[in-house]
Amino acid sequence: MKTRTALVLIALALGAIFAAPYVLPSFLVSLLTLVFISGLLATSVNLLAGEAGLVSMGHAGIAAAAGYGIAWATVNGLGRGSSLLIAFGLVLIVSAIFGLTTMYTRGIVYLMITLALGMVCYGLAYRLSNVTGGQNGLTGVNRPELFSAWWQFYFFTAAIFVLALFAVWIFRQSPFGLTLRAIRDSESRAASLGYSVARAKFTATILSGLLAGIAGMLAVWNAQFISPATVSFGRSAMAVVMVILGGTGTLFGPLLGAGVVVGFEHLLSSYVARWPTLLGLAFIAVVMFMPQGVLGRLPRRREPIDPRNRSKNWSP
Amino acid sequence: MTSNFLFVQVMNGLSFGALLFLLASGFTLVFGLMRIVNLAHGAFYLVGGYAGIVIAGNTGNFALALIAGPVAAAVIGGVSERFLLRRVRGKELPEVLLTVGIAFVIADVNLAIFGGNPQTLRAPEVLSGALSMGSFAYPRYRLFMILLAVLVGLGLYLVQHKTRIGAIMRAGVDDREMTGMMGIDVDKVFAGMFIFGSALAGLAGVAAAGQLTMRPGADTDILLFALVVVIVGGLGSVSGAAVGSALIGLIDAFAKVWIPELSYFAIFAPMAIILVLRPRGLFGLPE
Repeated sequence: MKTRTALVLIALALGAIFAAPYVLPSFLVSLLTLVFISGLLATSVNLLAGEAGLVSMGHAGIAAAAGYGIAWATVNGLGRGSSLLIAFGLVLIVSAIFGLTTMYTRGIVYLMITLALGMVCYGLAYRLSNVTGGQNGLTGVNRPELFSAWWQFYFFTAAIFVLALFAVWIFRQSPFGLTLRAIRDSESRAASLGYSVARAKFTATILSGLLAGIAGMLAVWNAQFISPATVSFGRSAMAVVMVILGGTGTLFGPLLGAGVVVGFEHLLSSYVARWPTLLGLAFIAVVMFMPQGVLGRLPRRREPIDPRNRSKNWSP
Repeated sequence: MTSNFLFVQVMNGLSFGALLFLLASGFTLVFGLMRIVNLAHGAFYLVGGYAGIVIAGNTGNFALALIAGPVAAAVIGGVSERFLLRRVRGKELPEVLLTVGIAFVIADVNLAIFGGNPQTLRAPEVLSGALSMGSFAYPRYRLFMILLAVLVGLGLYLVQHKTRIGAIMRAGVDDREMTGMMGIDVDKVFAGMFIFGSALAGLAGVAAAGQLTMRPGADTDILLFALVVVIVGGLGSVSGAAVGSALIGLIDAFAKVWIPELSYFAIFAPMAIILVLRPRGLFGLPE
């Protein structure tokens, strides 16, 4: 794509995002807000999956750490600043645990460990009931006054998402982003060139965790409520589906995937009682028939891939 | 702390560990041979448990339930392997993700059929009540679970080391391509192993149904334990699964008594330590 067309498209997209609350009914705008939040979580998963080849099945756990942090602080009447401090502190701790336990692994082992960690987060949210409210969760988590109306919150979420996407775009071209890609394509080669593979993976997990944490906070403000359902395995898996559906490693794929999934969920879940079955079938269909995702199918500039590694590197 | 308390807790840990072993051995065998992390394993366990409950409820025959559970899980496992997993063979991530999709569908269909209420299997007379051993008494059903796990473990050991099928299995774990070159139909071996692993999950489900409850969510709860066991024991190793199961079972039993709020942390701590110090687990296959 030429730079000028890209710029025009981006300007059009930004215009559409800005115009949405003025044209669309509030129900659809709230749905769009949800798409941006899910898209942000999916983007954080994509950061690891696309750039480092590490597929996390526990990102809902990281996101919920921030969510619970902000919810707990708000419910207990702490100020905005200290609430954010607690939320980000929790995210850093949880991502550091994710990073430390996974930095020597890759592929399915990485996936398995993040899955287990995500489930531990779920268990903690469920069982530490004097802090998390147990099954009932924490209610009455007010949005910051500045963004309390639905359209204000929409603009806030959209702005954060656009900023995050811009940060990811820069990240992908940064030396560190390239290091990650080198590790993804051949770990041994990157190591023999002198890169510290484990440290790079750890840092990547922390960065991705920060994005996931922001998504988690937005989700709590959006629902004004948090419960263990937010941490469930299904949530983490959904984020991965969004990434694959949209196209692993693409910039806009996660948002597209989030749009499709969130849209279908709201369209169908009111008519179809067995929504999770449909979701599972969709999951299977995507993996079997569209492993490259929607955007992955479009012709685009590709880096040369070592044909010997092709079968191992599933990322498009 | 009395000796009776210690005895009961150790036995609790071992009987839970026995259940974990039934589950984790199938999981780890499938991984060892096929390199598939089967995240539908918990769902197969749930299928086995519900099948056992239905059969035992209708016929009153516990032995029949013990057969029906594994069969039901094996059928579903076989269908999943033949029609879905086989088509993406060798591609690690699609394989794992497919099993996630399968797990979603199975869990939801189970919810549709059996509803949301927890269900249990009524153990037969012989296995109900407690068995007194001198000054100690312990529930018979839990002893039965330990016995079952020991029998399965012994059986697995004998099959793996004394039979032709076992030799093929071990060869496949060591070098799949070479095994295929020797004229072994790897497709068939893989299908057989996946069906067998699913059957073990089903057996674990029936055994668990007499002790725990079958309910929506039980599949992911138990999957976490299976994951922790194989991460600690090492992926692909049956002896690792045995040691890991006993370890996690014991830790869980004592943590539940001593630090009930943090018992979740307690099983996670050894996993984290092992991952940092020895990423491939206690008995894991070298990469």
